[in-house]
Amino acid sequence: MLPSIIIYGLINSVILALIAMGFSLTFGISGVANFAYGGFYIFSGFLVWMLLNYLKFPLILAILVTIGVVGLLGFVTYWVILLRVRGIPLSEVIATFALGVGILELFRWMGFVTYEFTLPYLKKGMVLIAGVPVDYQRLFIIGIGLALVLFLYFFTHHTRIGLAFRGIAQNERTAISLGIKSDRTAALSLAFGSAMASVAAIFILPLGIISINTGYEVLLIAVAVGIVGGLESVSGILVASLILGYAQVIVGTYFKPEWMMVVYLAAIVLVLAIKPSGLFGKFKELEERV
Amino acid sequence: MKKNTFWVSILFVLVIFISLPHTAGAQLKPSDPIVIGVPTALGSIEGRDGWMAIQMAVEEINAKGGVLVGNTKHKLEAYSIDTREHEPGIPVQDALTATEKLILEKKPHAIALGNFRSEVLLASMDLMSKYKLPYICSIAMTPLFQKKIADEYDKYKYCFRNCLNSPYLAMYMTEVMRFLGKQFGFKKAYVIVQDTLWAQGTGKGVDKWCKENGWEVASFDAYALGSSDFSPSLIKVRAQKAQVIVTFFDMPQSGILLKQARAMQIPALLAGFISPVAPENAWDVFEKEVEGMVNFAFEIGPVPVKAVPKSVAFNENFGKRWGKDAKIKLSGHGPGPSYDSVYMFANAIERAKTVEPDAVVSALEKIDMTGVVGRIRFSKDHQVVYGVDPKETALGCGFQWKKPGTRVVVFPEAVAEGKIELPSSMK
Repeated sequence: MLPSIIIYGLINSVILALIAMGFSLTFGISGVANFAYGGFYIFSGFLVWMLLNYLKFPLILAILVTIGVVGLLGFVTYWVILLRVRGIPLSEVIATFALGVGILELFRWMGFVTYEFTLPYLKKGMVLIAGVPVDYQRLFIIGIGLALVLFLYFFTHHTRIGLAFRGIAQNERTAISLGIKSDRTAALSLAFGSAMASVAAIFILPLGIISINTGYEVLLIAVAVGIVGGLESVSGILVASLILGYAQVIVGTYFKPEWMMVVYLAAIVLVLAIKPSGLFGKFKELEERV
Repeated sequence: MKKNTFWVSILFVLVIFISLPHTAGAQLKPSDPIVIGVPTALGSIEGRDGWMAIQMAVEEINAKGGVLVGNTKHKLEAYSIDTREHEPGIPVQDALTATEKLILEKKPHAIALGNFRSEVLLASMDLMSKYKLPYICSIAMTPLFQKKIADEYDKYKYCFRNCLNSPYLAMYMTEVMRFLGKQFGFKKAYVIVQDTLWAQGTGKGVDKWCKENGWEVASFDAYALGSSDFSPSLIKVRAQKAQVIVTFFDMPQSGILLKQARAMQIPALLAGFISPVAPENAWDVFEKEVEGMVNFAFEIGPVPVKAVPKSVAFNENFGKRWGKDAKIKLSGHGPGPSYDSVYMFANAIERAKTVEPDAVVSALEKIDMTGVVGRIRFSKDHQVVYGVDPKETALGCGFQWKKPGTRVVVFPEAVAEGKIELPSSMK
């Protein structure tokens, strides 16, 4: 059973990291907690499904179009909704959460609620790793997770926009004084975060069905991983994903599967009680020490 | 003083009048329709299809002139409301509020289809009692429903159920397991259910039977509503070498259990109920991975059984009324009894010659008719009797998905159209 736990724990961890990274990226740069994240995630799933089934797009084209559309949606969301409430955290949360709920409940209203809404595997079949069967889709998830981490590192260290992202994240006023446009960078961060939600959805949803409730669950996961690791820290997200991913599989295997969801909630409570800024978070660290 | 007394008396009468529950009048005028209220989870496939089946039955009866009450025929009208009770996180109270809204606005003479979740069903029984509404439930399955009626008959006598309940499902499942034991020598099961009253109840029934009949239950896992990762259980199924995975799920996400089991190449037979695997289109939706699974249709009709011609006719007529797409999506639980419930009300009202609730209840208790699900009779605790012979009882059936995408009825033996075979991964 140990090899199974190690392998499926790793897969579960990468899934959590994929889900949380887009949320963390947006928050780390623009300071906006995008609570429409779950809505964007599910919107991506349904959009791919509709492109495949109604317009008969090839899978790859449907994926590319969806990532582009959802990225654009994030960009527009900043200019249309967030710009007016920027700097008022509570209003930002309410505005984005309302948008997310609106998207999810619109699909519910349209009748997208049954088991028929599934996305195809990129490739069917499986391999045995240390005697444990693992399907190709899960291997793709591990691959895309690693690729995204590498891409993020390269992007934020070696591109103009990425460096602007980091500049804004480190000190917005100084960055502005150096000519970096704060609103444009924040809008781009929302676009990138949304596109990452889309990538996560496209690779993870084939393992399950596209369900409205998953949208709410995804938001909980993103927040839980962010709180444990530190909302703005990519390395924190990775470590938190590993902790929560393995904890879930161990709880599900050795205790009861119905307690798996409790892992998130327990982790949130514990971290908030001990180190509210998260394991790798810096935002509030000084205040906490004081 | 006298004037004051007069106004106080008027006020008192008004208060009494307003506080009394209002439903449709027991006496029908010649042009009055008989109203059937349908509060259910319309977003679930069971609720959606049950509501379509009810509309179909209403149209059929109205096409023949309606329901004869005394000397006058009355048309039927049916109204639905979405209780959303199948969704995770919807409080029982919300579903009850929706039900009461329908009762107050449409003033129904009877309630059909009704609750999806057993937890809501138990709470809604008080509502039916309050408004004295004859109610035939066609989805929720907890046996506690019958216990409440047996314990407080006068209060809950308005409530009936014509779908399968958990003990009957457990009975069907254990008969299949007995066959699997005899035919293939299986003795080890792994039970995976969703964490709801009916599924836990059925799972525990199977668990008890296994322990009393020489089977080993490797583990009993329950998953919260909305769960979509079953790999912790599947890892254990493989490690503990269970031969049969017994499943009871009605949530949309549950089809993924099968997909994950196939992806992980678990060498065990899946048997039980996974709601999304029951409809005709599951073969395509799950890209042929349903092959080999033994699934139940809780009541026949969505799965036509040749030995019961009405089930075949219902299946065909549903396709004609709602189109092929609706027919291939027909769920395995709810549509047959929902359709029958309209005919049961019509039958009871015609015999009672009134829509007066107590008279209708009394007529329903004596009902003996043949419907889509087989022979329909109620037990003393208002549950339609299910068994293995459609001439004697109502019928559910087990079917196995086989190439090239057909559902072959394999249980009960009296109506079986094929035998259970092991999937290729287990041969």
